[in-house]
Amino acid sequence: MSCAHPIEPAALANYWLAELPSSEESALEEHLMGCESCARELEQIAALAAGIRALARQGALKMVLTQEFLDRVAKQGLRIRQYAVSPGGSVQCTVTSRDDFLVSRLAADLRGVERLDLVLCDAAGAELQRFADIPFRPAEDAHVFLNYPVSIARQEPAHTLVMKLLSVTPNEERLVGKYTFNHTPS
Amino acid sequence: MENEEDLCRAFAPRIRLYGLRHLRDEQAAADLVQQVLLIMIESLRAGKVRDLDKLPSFVLGTCRMVVLESRRGSSRRERLLEKYLPRDWAVSPEPLAGLDRLAPCLRALAERERTVIMLTFYEEHSSDMVGRSLGLSNENVRVIRHRALGHLRKCITGAAK
Repeated sequence: MSCAHPIEPAALANYWLAELPSSEESALEEHLMGCESCARELEQIAALAAGIRALARQGALKMVLTQEFLDRVAKQGLRIRQYAVSPGGSVQCTVTSRDDFLVSRLAADLRGVERLDLVLCDAAGAELQRFADIPFRPAEDAHVFLNYPVSIARQEPAHTLVMKLLSVTPNEERLVGKYTFNHTPS
Repeated sequence: MENEEDLCRAFAPRIRLYGLRHLRDEQAAADLVQQVLLIMIESLRAGKVRDLDKLPSFVLGTCRMVVLESRRGSSRRERLLEKYLPRDWAVSPEPLAGLDRLAPCLRALAERERTVIMLTFYEEHSSDMVGRSLGLSNENVRVIRHRALGHLRKCITGAAK
């Protein structure tokens, strides 16, 4: 069943996240309760949100996270193995069957940085993966948190992984910090 | 007049969504579905709602009332359950087609999009909270979120075809 006046997806997302003014929220709810088509659209957002939560709890994605996010998952009883490294530093690391999240915490001075890329390299310096234009706080004592999926890390043999933070402008790439992880299976 | 079962099937998913949105809990939303449907049936049988065009407004009003009541700790549920519905009655949400593609579709997003989506939907956080966490403005978060949701939907439904 289609709707003659379908609600915009952005408005549905705003509603789901409680970001609409109460008058708009009320009108939207009236429409949703009488409209099968728009209710199905909202159902899709709800299903997407549930799927994202499930993936997040599994720590299944190699991605940049925040301290606040990690604090929340820790409060929910999930176990986080975190390795904090300073620029130029290295760390011996591993992962166990009990860990839910494996997180690299990279310290950096990000003042004046406009775009920040995170690059994963092998021990010889060859680029393996690049996370372009990652979110960050442009502060002197900033940290970048990278979640490395435990399911992948548990399969890996002993090896060295080098992470580089690069400040990127149209003209150049400047190394902000280099961080070395010496992984050993548990 | 549509029969009661058809009306329950039509309204149950919408009541559940209302419950999830306001209570943020799947079990609480399932409880709300049962309570509101019971009140709806009771009211229809008692002739309190004669014009079916007004039923959506009645159901929405009932949702609001029951959520308020549940927050006050009172409930008519047990009495109504006994009267009208078998105890195993429930409505399951329809799964989103292609949801098994969610992980690769999330991987295909740009970094900022993926982080914003994850922080937003993990605990249904507002753009304000996500923005503060990432050093982005409200508006910026909303733009990134909207773009990311569009990419995700396209990726998932494209894969489902």
